[in-house]
Amino acid sequence: MSDLRNADAGWQEQLANAYKSFGLPRLIIAGMLVVLLIAAPLVGANFWMQITNVINRFSWNSVLVLAMVPMVHSGCGLNFGLPLGIISGLLGATISLEMGFTGPMSFAMAIAIATPFAILFGIGYGWLLNKIKGGEMMIATYVGFSSVSFMCMMWLLLPYRKPDMVWGYAGTGLRTTISLEGYYDQILAKFLQIRIGDLVIPTGSLLFFALLAFMMWAFLHTKTGTAMTAVGSNPTFARAAGINVDKMRMLSVVLSTWLAAIGILVYQQGFGFIQLYMAPFNMALPAVSAILIGGASVNKASIANVIIGTILFQGIVTMTPTVMNNAIHMDISEVLRMVVSNGMILYALTRKTEANS
Amino acid sequence: MNKKTSAPSGKSITSFLGENSVPIMFIIIVAVCIPISGFSPKFLLNEIITRMGRNVFLILSLLIPIMAGMGLNFGMTLGAMAGEIALIFVSDWQIWGIPGIVLAMILSIPISVLMGIMCGKILNASKGREMITSYIISFFTNGLYQLLVLYMMGSVIPIIHNSIKLPRGYGIRQTVGLLNMRQSLDNLLALKIAGVKIPVMTFIIIAVMCLVIVWFRRTKLGQDMRAVGQDMEVARDAGIDVERTRIISIVISTVLAGFGMIIYLQNMGDMATYSAHSQIGMFCIAALLVGGASVDHASIGNVFLGVVLFHLMFILAPTAGAKITGDTMIGEYFRVFISYGVITVALVMYETKKRKAKAGMGQMLEAAQREEAQSDA
Amino acid sequence: MRKILFRAGTILILLVISGCMLYIGRGHTIYFDNKTLEYEGVKYDTIRRINVNVNGEQVAKLSKKERGLATCMGQKFTFDIEVIREKDGPVENRSFTIDVPYHQDGIVLNLIGMMEGLPQEAWMTEFVPMPVVEEEEEEIVIDEFDVTSDR
Repeated sequence: MSDLRNADAGWQEQLANAYKSFGLPRLIIAGMLVVLLIAAPLVGANFWMQITNVINRFSWNSVLVLAMVPMVHSGCGLNFGLPLGIISGLLGATISLEMGFTGPMSFAMAIAIATPFAILFGIGYGWLLNKIKGGEMMIATYVGFSSVSFMCMMWLLLPYRKPDMVWGYAGTGLRTTISLEGYYDQILAKFLQIRIGDLVIPTGSLLFFALLAFMMWAFLHTKTGTAMTAVGSNPTFARAAGINVDKMRMLSVVLSTWLAAIGILVYQQGFGFIQLYMAPFNMALPAVSAILIGGASVNKASIANVIIGTILFQGIVTMTPTVMNNAIHMDISEVLRMVVSNGMILYALTRKTEANS
Repeated sequence: MNKKTSAPSGKSITSFLGENSVPIMFIIIVAVCIPISGFSPKFLLNEIITRMGRNVFLILSLLIPIMAGMGLNFGMTLGAMAGEIALIFVSDWQIWGIPGIVLAMILSIPISVLMGIMCGKILNASKGREMITSYIISFFTNGLYQLLVLYMMGSVIPIIHNSIKLPRGYGIRQTVGLLNMRQSLDNLLALKIAGVKIPVMTFIIIAVMCLVIVWFRRTKLGQDMRAVGQDMEVARDAGIDVERTRIISIVISTVLAGFGMIIYLQNMGDMATYSAHSQIGMFCIAALLVGGASVDHASIGNVFLGVVLFHLMFILAPTAGAKITGDTMIGEYFRVFISYGVITVALVMYETKKRKAKAGMGQMLEAAQREEAQSDA
Repeated sequence: MRKILFRAGTILILLVISGCMLYIGRGHTIYFDNKTLEYEGVKYDTIRRINVNVNGEQVAKLSKKERGLATCMGQKFTFDIEVIREKDGPVENRSFTIDVPYHQDGIVLNLIGMMEGLPQEAWMTEFVPMPVVEEEEEEIVIDEFDVTSDR
């Protein structure tokens, strides 16, 4: 983006600027993805199948990554507390199923039920984050963990009774994974699905993400949205301009939490299963690193960052196993994922940003 | 720790309760759980002593970074990994017993130092958010550890014995047996009093370490660290090399964590190659906080109180949970929730305190400025 | 300068200690055989009963064609045997000290050969574990949040 603004600068300078704003790690990751794309057909992997996988994974994860945007904008940092929102989504999903909804209706109801939970949790979470400005990220992480482990007890104790959701022998306590077949498995993905040979495009999921992303973009350009950005970029100035800083931060946290709730539902409809108990633990870090790979920093993020980041991150994650396995019969993809994603977060944390202390 | 905070006479009971709310809460939980669980006191005492010997050294490794103002060192996991790498080699070379433990400790030093320097440098580049950074570093390094242990050992780094190598020819197995050094440190000079086994040698090592920490606080370096912990800018003005001091504190912590992990694993008797370290940082930090420590202040007393209370809760929760709800998993999840919850509460208390202090400072500054303005007029 | 010397000294001491540990801590498994032995055409027969003691503790009671084992740390291994050639016969006591080769994890001692005073190569062989039947590949599960393990 920045290279457009100084269009009068020489092209070399422009290139240098583009490089600077893009950053070395991003360049490396983009390079890796290109290498993988070229290598895939060479080692005998089906190229179009690979592309399909990447698009699929993009459609599952993009909303979760989008959930990062509001909090970054209001200066609350990266939302390591994503699991809290995910839990609202899980509550929505399980309650919707328990109430006996099926097909597309179960998805709509899951969203409807998840929303009040997300708003409620978001308000509590936002209240807490307003008390501890400056230490958001660490506390967010642990709020997420605490809520996940608390819900682990709740999944066992809450009075769920539906036979295909609870443990067969005990009749109580939700299973660790619940199949969504007959409920909302692939409900978005199958909508207007396009098939060209091996290439399958889950149009519905992409449209759904596009809708949310557009709403996000539009919101950020409303008066409230710009006020929120102002709070993030310069809280003192924002306060002087008469913006209620705490209220803006609260709003951003609620938005983030709600998007996370929707995000996990979209993920589930793609994946085909509801994963409970410890599963939400592993959802925050990939989303955080995806948006960072896309070019966001601790206090700046755009929709473009979300899209680019999710494609790059999911591209690497989905392509490496097949390519590596075909090429050297050694599956180091899991390790690679850990190093790349956490390395990216580290890189972002060490950048000298106007630390919001 | 009660001794330390046991109020200068003016302090009211409420403030004492407020400051020690976490340990008090745990004492209540434990007091409620003991009768429900139905464990005999002898069993509990035995467990507590074993777990003390196993964990205290690891937790001691957290004290020095706290002193240097770097918060809870989630990067202690790095030291734990170094200890594990050393143990893999030692068990491959078939060095047994005490010599094996000593050799593993020596081997872990260079690995710990290297990782500590890396960690310290990264933390220096992210001042103000050390904790989240050290937390992510532990994940990042876990990836590197896996690369080393799962792919490079046996293929690049020679590993002789098939008993610890995966059948495919490279990579280390899920568990590495340490049978030949199992509890050899604990059994040295061990005493049995009324059926309770006391690992005397382990406790001697812990005691020596405590003395070293007390002594270290008084050295020039220790004083420097405290100064850096109080205020980095003031310390810099006083001619202290802030960056170097911070790196040293992390290196010391990492090395100690490596030793601690070796002590821990010799007690366990086998090593879960890919998961032994993953939660060790979380449990150690939770235990320290349960003992009444905070992000910017921790004493040796906190360590001991914390180990006793936290591990009592750990032993009691599953059984007590099963007795109450009829499901063992509830108790397991309950203790995980408590561990995370305690850390969350401690972090929130620390941040609110910091904000209050800052606000107080702002008011003072404002008042001073007003005064100045008045005197000018 | 003093600092460098001090550091070099520390490293040297640590290296020396590790060297010692490598030497004294090397563990071996020693197997005792009461089995017939053929050496240079001569056949030596088994003995009715051999008891093996290490540091005054009995580690094996060997009837004919039996094998016992003991562990040892370091490169020297001393053990005593009680030989009983016939039922209720006299007990014959012998003591042996052997040098254990560093790089062998397990060594097999043929007690018959040792008692006959044959050269070392006759009664000492490396223990080669039976090649294990092709095992199933172990699946490595990497779980960054393994929270329920009881430690």
